[in-house]
Amino acid sequence: MLRRFKKYGGGARGVVTLMSSSAPLVIVGGLLYAGLFVKAEALVQKVEPPPIERRDSFYGVAAPDSRVVWAAGAGGKIVRSEDGGESWARQITNTEVNLQGIAAWDSDSAVAVGNDGVVIVTRDGGRSWARAEIPASGNPNKLFRVRIVGDTAWAVGEFGALLRSPDRGETWSRALPEKDRAWNDIAFVGDAGWLVGEFGALMKSGDGGASWDEVATPNKASLMSVAFRDAEHGVAVGLTGTLLVTADGGVSWQQVPAFTREHLYSVTWDEGRWLAVGDKGVMATADAGADQWQLGRVADGDVSWRTQITRAGSRYFLAGSNLAVLDDTGALSVAGHKRM
Amino acid sequence: MKNTTFGKVDRAFAFLIRFRALVVAAVALVTLAMGYQASQIEVKTIFSDLLPRDHPYVAVNQRFKQTFGGSNMVSIMLEAERGDIFNRTVLAKVQKLTVDLQQVEGVDTYQIISLASKKIKEVRASTEGVESRPLMWPELPRDDAELAALKAAVLNNPLVYGPYVSTDLKATLVTVDFNDGSMDYTRAFNQLMTLVGEASGDGVAVRIVGEPVLYGWVNHYLHETLTIFFFAVAALVVLLCLITRTWHGTILPLLAGMVSAVWALGAARLMGFHLDPLVVVVAFLITAQAISNSVQLIARFDDETGHGVASAEAAARASARNLFKPSMLAIVADAGCVLVVALTPIPLLQKISFIGTVWVLTILVSALILTPVMLSWFGARQRYIHPININPLLMRILGLCSAIVTTRWRYAVLGAAAAAFVVSGLYAFNLKVGDANPGSPILWPDSSYNRDAAEINRQFQGSDRMFVVVAGKEPGALREPEVLSSMTRFQKYMEAQPEVGGSISLGDILPQVNRVLREGNPMYQELGKSADENSELMYMFVSGSDPGDMDRYADADAKNGAVTLFFRDHQGETIRTAVARVRDYVAQHPIKDAEYLLAGGLVGVLAAVNEVILAGQIEAIALALLVLVVCCTVTYRSTVAGVFFMIPVLLSNTITFSYMAWQGIGMNINTLPVVALGIGLGVDYTFYIVDGIRENLHRSHNVERAIVNALMGPGKGVLITAMTLITSVVLWNFSSLRLQADMGVLIALWLFISAFSALFIMPALVYVFRPEFIVGSKRHPIEQAEPVMVG
Repeated sequence: MLRRFKKYGGGARGVVTLMSSSAPLVIVGGLLYAGLFVKAEALVQKVEPPPIERRDSFYGVAAPDSRVVWAAGAGGKIVRSEDGGESWARQITNTEVNLQGIAAWDSDSAVAVGNDGVVIVTRDGGRSWARAEIPASGNPNKLFRVRIVGDTAWAVGEFGALLRSPDRGETWSRALPEKDRAWNDIAFVGDAGWLVGEFGALMKSGDGGASWDEVATPNKASLMSVAFRDAEHGVAVGLTGTLLVTADGGVSWQQVPAFTREHLYSVTWDEGRWLAVGDKGVMATADAGADQWQLGRVADGDVSWRTQITRAGSRYFLAGSNLAVLDDTGALSVAGHKRM
Repeated sequence: MKNTTFGKVDRAFAFLIRFRALVVAAVALVTLAMGYQASQIEVKTIFSDLLPRDHPYVAVNQRFKQTFGGSNMVSIMLEAERGDIFNRTVLAKVQKLTVDLQQVEGVDTYQIISLASKKIKEVRASTEGVESRPLMWPELPRDDAELAALKAAVLNNPLVYGPYVSTDLKATLVTVDFNDGSMDYTRAFNQLMTLVGEASGDGVAVRIVGEPVLYGWVNHYLHETLTIFFFAVAALVVLLCLITRTWHGTILPLLAGMVSAVWALGAARLMGFHLDPLVVVVAFLITAQAISNSVQLIARFDDETGHGVASAEAAARASARNLFKPSMLAIVADAGCVLVVALTPIPLLQKISFIGTVWVLTILVSALILTPVMLSWFGARQRYIHPININPLLMRILGLCSAIVTTRWRYAVLGAAAAAFVVSGLYAFNLKVGDANPGSPILWPDSSYNRDAAEINRQFQGSDRMFVVVAGKEPGALREPEVLSSMTRFQKYMEAQPEVGGSISLGDILPQVNRVLREGNPMYQELGKSADENSELMYMFVSGSDPGDMDRYADADAKNGAVTLFFRDHQGETIRTAVARVRDYVAQHPIKDAEYLLAGGLVGVLAAVNEVILAGQIEAIALALLVLVVCCTVTYRSTVAGVFFMIPVLLSNTITFSYMAWQGIGMNINTLPVVALGIGLGVDYTFYIVDGIRENLHRSHNVERAIVNALMGPGKGVLITAMTLITSVVLWNFSSLRLQADMGVLIALWLFISAFSALFIMPALVYVFRPEFIVGSKRHPIEQAEPVMVG
C-alpha cells in the first residue's frame, strides 16, 4: 500500500506512516478505555399496567345502560367499559382508599363511596372525579354502598352512617344520628325505603327516608343487602346464608330455612326472578314468590366472592374478588384475566 | 538477530533431544504424579460458586435466605389426573412426601412447605375467638365432611389457593429449600427422584423443578458426558490416523492432549479446585488447542523429512525451531485471554479461568517440547499405515486457497469478509445476557425437567422466586400502615409484568386476618388503620403457632420483611425488566420507615450474575483483545501486527455472537467460559500461516510465492486440525445436555471461521496490504536466511 503513495513524495508517505503507526496505539488505547470504563447498559422493556390488574378486587358495579359499565374497588380503582364489558379503561380518582360502592344516573353522572368517608362524583363520564364533602365525624365513616332514587343519592356505612344527597352527590347530610352499628344496604320503591345492617338490624321508612322505624327480624346475623320488586315484596340477605322474605312491605319478615352456610352479600330483582350472590361463587335464585330457592354457582369452578351483581342488557356484571361478566349462555369471563 | 534466536532455540532442542530419554522419563514421572492428583479431583457443582462475590443482591440473599428462602428451592407438583386433589389418595401422598423430605440430604427442614406441613394455616373465627391452626397437620381429613371443610378452608385462603393449590384445584405444590455448602447433590437428587417415583401413580402425576434438581440432572448425565468426551477423542484419533497416515501423526497429538489434560487436572486438584460437570466442553476446547499445536509440529516434521532432511532428529529440531515463535505466541496469547476471565468476580468463572490458564500453559511442555522430542524417535522415512490417501483432496483445497489469493478473487474474499464482519457485528448486538428462552437452556426443551417446569409454571404462579427485603429502620416498622400499603402497592406494580405470576407478603396476610375478624366480610379485607391494629392482626395470625412460622413474611420484631415475587421464567430479559421496575418503584415511592433491598432467591441471584456478566462483558472482550494485541506487538515488534491479528479474532467473535443471538443462546454463567476461551482460539491458525509467509520471505523476495508456500506448508496443518476437530466436535450434538450440544456447535463454528480466515482471508490481506512486519520495507528489508547448519 505504501508503495502507491510513493509518487506523492515523502510528505504523503510520512503522513501514511504516522497514521499506520498511530492507529494501532489508538486502538490499544480504545480497548484499554473500553475494558476499564465502558459498562454495557441493559435495555429494559416498558411494562404498561393493564386497566384491570390481577390483584384488583371490586366491591361495586353500576350499569346505567347496556353499553356503559362502571366498577369500583380496592385502592381507589374505578374502571369503565363503553362496550358492554369487552374492554375497560382505568379512570383517575385521586384516592387510594378502597371504594365500596358505585351508582350511576346515566353515562355521564355517577357517584362512588368508600373507606374514610370518601365520596367522589363525576359529571363527565368519569374523565374527572371530584371529592364531595360529607358531614364531619370523629368515627371512621367507612361507607359501604350508595343507591340512587331519582336525583337523590343515599350512602350507608359504619357507625350508623346514613347520608343523603339531594343533588346527585354534590352535598350530603346525615339522615340518622350516628350509632355503633353499621348499615350495609338501602333500597327504595317510591317513598317506601328499607335499611339493613349489622346484627340483623332492619329499618323502614314510609316518607322517602325522612323518618325511619325499627323493624324486628327473626335473626341476629348481619344483613348485607336488601331488594324489593314492588312496594310489598322484598328479600334481604346476609351472613351465613341468612335469607329473609317479606310480602307486606317489610312490616314482617319470614326467615327462609338456610340452604347454605356461605355468606350472601347481594340480592337483586332480576326481571322475573330473585338473584343473590355471595362467598365462594354461590348464587341463589328464586321465582317471584321467593319461597323456593335454588342454590347454584355463578359458573362451574368459580369460587370467587361476589359483593354485587348487576344486569345490563343480556349480561350480568359481577363485582368481587375479580370483575366478571356472565353472558346469557352462562359463560363467565373474568376481566383482565387471560384464562379462567 | 533472527538467526541468533533461531540458534538458541535450535541448541535448546538439540540438548533436549540428546537427553530425550531423560526428558520423556521426567515428563512421564510428572504425568504419573499429576495423574494421581487428577484422579482425586471432584466433579460436582457448588452453588455458592455460581454467585458473584461482593454483589449487593448476593449479600442480601446470603443474609436473609434462612428466613425468606434462598436460591436452592425445589418445587414438587402433585397433580390429580382425574377430579381434584381433595381425596385421601392424593393428600396422603402429599403428607408422605412432606414427611419423607425431611430425610433428604441437605434439606432445610424448616423450609418444607405443603398442605400437610405445619406452616400452612388458616385463621378462623370460632366461639372462643380467633384462632390460627394448620390446615392439614398432623392428621389427614378422616371423612368426606372433613375433606369438604379442608377444601373450603383452602378456597378461602389466598395464601394457599393459588400459591400452593392450583386455581383449578387439580394440583398442589410442595416446596423445599436446600442448604448451600458441602452436600452430596447426587445423593440428594437420587433421594428426591426416589420420593417422586414413590409418589407417582394411583392417578397422580408428580413433577419436580428447582436448581438442585437441574444440577442433579446434569450430574446424572455426567457419565454420558464423559462417554461423549472419550468418543470425541476416539474420533479424533481415527481422523488423524486417516489423514496423516502415520503412527506419529496419530499418537503424538493425542499424547499432547492427554498430558496437558492430566497436568491441568492435577494442578487444579493441587490448587484445591473441583471440576464443574458443565465445563467438560471447555476441557475439550483446550485439548483441541494442544492437538492443534502438536499437529503443526508434525506437519512441519513431515515436510522436512519429505524434503530430504537426513535424520529424524534433524527434522524434529528444524520443526521445533521454525514453529517455536508462532506456537509460543499462540499459547501465551491464549493463556492471557483465558486469564482475563478471572476478572469476572464469580468464583466458578475464576476457577475455570485459573484451570484454563494452567491448562493452556501445559501445552508448552506437552506439545512444544514433547512432540519434537518424541518425533526424533520416529524414522525419517515415511511409512504409511493404511492405503487411503486423502492428501490430494487436502492439496486441492489448499490449491483453491492459493488460486484465490493470487487472482482477483482475493478482492471478492476480502469484500465478502468485510461485509460479513459488518453484518454479523450489527446482528451480534442482539445477543442476550442471561437465559434467552423459558426453561433451562442447559437441557433440551423436551427434556423431562423442562416439561415439568413448563407444567408447573402453567398451573401455578411461577416456580422461580425472588424476594425483595423490606428493611425497617426501627423494630415494628412492618406494622406501620404506610409500609404495609407501600408493600401491597409494590406487589401490584410488579405484577403488571406478565412474567410475574404472583407475589406474597405480610401485606396480603393481614387483610385476610382482618376479614376473618369481621365475620368473613370481604369489605373488611384491608390493612389495619394503625400500627396497633396491624400488630393485633399479626398477633392473631401467629397465636398458637410455632415461633418462626411467620418468618417467611417478617421477622419476630417486625423490623425486616420480604415481598416474594413468583416468576414464570428466569430469562435474562424478564429478570432485567423486573429489577429495573423494582428500582423505578422504589425511586418513585420512597417510604419513611423502611427501605427496599434487592434481591434474594434464585431470580435475585441470577439478576446479580447477569448484571456482573453484562458489566464485565465489554471489559472481558476488550481486555482479551488487548492481551492479544500486546502479545503480537511484542513478538513482531510492530504495532501493526497487533491490529492485523485482531481481524480474524473480531470476525470469528462477531459471527459466533450472531449465531448465539440467532439460536437464542444467551450469554450466561455456563456459556461465558467457552466464549472467553474462544476469543483467543481464533488466532492460532493465522499465526502459523503468517509466520510461514515470513519464513518463506527469508528465502526469497517473492511475496506471492511465499504465500503459496505458506499455504501448502502450515496451511496443511491448519486444514488437518480444523477438519479433525470440527468433525469430532459434532459428536457433542448427541449429548442429553443441550448446553453441551450448543457449545459443541459454537466451538465448531469458531474453528471453522478461524481456519477459513487463516486460509482465505489473511493471505489475501497480506497480499493486498503488504504489512511491513511481514513483507518488510525498503528501510527494514527482510533478512535473507543463511542456510541453517544441520548436524
